[in-house]
Amino acid sequence: MEDGTQPQAAFDRDEFDRRAAEWRYVMTDMICRAGSGHLGGALSLVEIVMTLYYRIMRIDPANPHWDGRDRLVLSKGHAAPVLYLALASRGFFPAAWLGTLNADGTRLPSHADARCVPGIDMTTGSLGQGLSCACGAAYAARLDGKKHRVFCIVGDGESDEGQNWEAAMFAAHHKLDNLLAITDYNRLQIDGFTDDVLSLEPLCDKWRAFGWEVFEMDGHDWDAIYDTLNAALAVHGKPRMVIAHTIKAKGCSIVENKAESHNIKVPDRATYEKFMNALETKATLPY
Amino acid sequence: MSKDFCDMEMRFVYGETLCELIEQDPKVMCLEADLSKASGTNPPVAARYPAHFLNVGVAEANMIGIGAGLASEGKVPFCASFSCFASRRVYDQITISVAYANVNVKIVGTAPGITAGPNGGTHMCFQDLAIMRAMPNMHVYSPCDAIELRAVMRHMARSRQPTYMQLIRHKVARIVDPDYTFDPDRAVVLREGRDVTLVSTGYMTQFAVPVVDGLAREGISVELLHYPSVKPFDAATLVASARKTGGVVTVENQSTIGGLGGAVCEVLSEQCPTRVCRLGVPNQFGEVASEQYLFDKHGFGPSHIEAACRRMRNGGND
Repeated sequence: MEDGTQPQAAFDRDEFDRRAAEWRYVMTDMICRAGSGHLGGALSLVEIVMTLYYRIMRIDPANPHWDGRDRLVLSKGHAAPVLYLALASRGFFPAAWLGTLNADGTRLPSHADARCVPGIDMTTGSLGQGLSCACGAAYAARLDGKKHRVFCIVGDGESDEGQNWEAAMFAAHHKLDNLLAITDYNRLQIDGFTDDVLSLEPLCDKWRAFGWEVFEMDGHDWDAIYDTLNAALAVHGKPRMVIAHTIKAKGCSIVENKAESHNIKVPDRATYEKFMNALETKATLPY
Repeated sequence: MSKDFCDMEMRFVYGETLCELIEQDPKVMCLEADLSKASGTNPPVAARYPAHFLNVGVAEANMIGIGAGLASEGKVPFCASFSCFASRRVYDQITISVAYANVNVKIVGTAPGITAGPNGGTHMCFQDLAIMRAMPNMHVYSPCDAIELRAVMRHMARSRQPTYMQLIRHKVARIVDPDYTFDPDRAVVLREGRDVTLVSTGYMTQFAVPVVDGLAREGISVELLHYPSVKPFDAATLVASARKTGGVVTVENQSTIGGLGGAVCEVLSEQCPTRVCRLGVPNQFGEVASEQYLFDKHGFGPSHIEAACRRMRNGGND
């Protein structure tokens, strides 16, 4: 890995598969328990976020503010539960916290919050703002001659927001090659398919035209994710965008690839069981 | 003081002071959105501290986000634009990426209110004090002259708080003492008086002072409270003055809804019910016009301040 200083966890495909299924089960339970939540866009990011936190990013769970850490901005802040799984799993905070999603007084709110969650680098939730913040963090790192990288995960629906394209111009103008963005291209937003609501196509060409080096990958394939992210990180002189082709609500069959997975409502026990039974693999809850 | 800053346009005082702050603390940065000449930072900051100067183009939303990202890495960004773009255009970006996230970004709204002048109604922002004041975590300042501006900026560079500051661009004659120190929790009692309390901030204070002095010559004793900080708001000084005088006039280069006058009414209605007359722009947009025309149309120029103080002294009646 480029500039690698942190030992990376050895990749064991079976173990990663097992952990991905566990994350999906726990996340679905967390959101169902809360009564509602953004399930689809969290499930679509499981493999990407796990790869980042286990194989790519330099982090120190015992020291969340370690200055040399790689930063991650989850611009689609509503997918925070998948970050919570990653951070708890890596030991940033006790896994027991996961059972408190959205509960009164919780430290794990629905949207990513750097004020109260150890390991979250930027507070997000209002769509379209995270890439600008990531640009600022990357620019600061360059000014200070620091070697860490800034990752930013952008939603596809969120890409409708014009501010993303202001940030895209800025990053290219300043050749921010310590910035790597990933678009979670699950092709669904709240009101339906992105192609029906507001088409992003040709998305790769757009980012290329804005001056970014663009990659595509299957966002659920461990090897593709690892290889593509490393190939992107090896590019110098311009910002990098990885378009990740994903499936919204992947793994939860009753809402997989459906817009209603964006923000599920779980009013009763029967609905809860319907969602939990829609998952292929069961797991033990850590709370 | 090596320079007489009171002889300079306020925007150049802003630029020069920002240079001093950068010299003292390399974490300070100057962000602009294609209005750097209007803000007075180009050439001063751009030429002398290019590594601390970042022009993002006509992209105010991005400027606020970049400011938040820089602040998250320990920088102290001062992000400037015309007040209409620095506040209302990017209200959600400031609300979430700055105030809610509670990161140390300084936002500077230039050419406040009617001082947008020939740019006219589209550029006249009358609500920035009101909307920024309504935002949790946000501190809201409006200095009245060059000396106070410099003191406020020094405070901003030291504090760790999200802050919005109005910046008058042109020259203003000295109002506060040369050894002035800024305390956001304290109003500045510019004149002591017994009959009426006059409350002003920012641009209007320069007009309030001669009005108060003129009335004093007629034996009408007006206490002039200048609020460089609209939030936090020094309630104690206001309440003490209102108890003494029994009548309060407010004047601001803003809408009469929710700004300084709003803050005064909130405090007094709860702590010391007192008759209040608010001067400013009453629920209207601006337009291309001279200052005198706008003062007369909306009723908040020197003659209106004077008349309001006289009325208030007579119990609020003509």
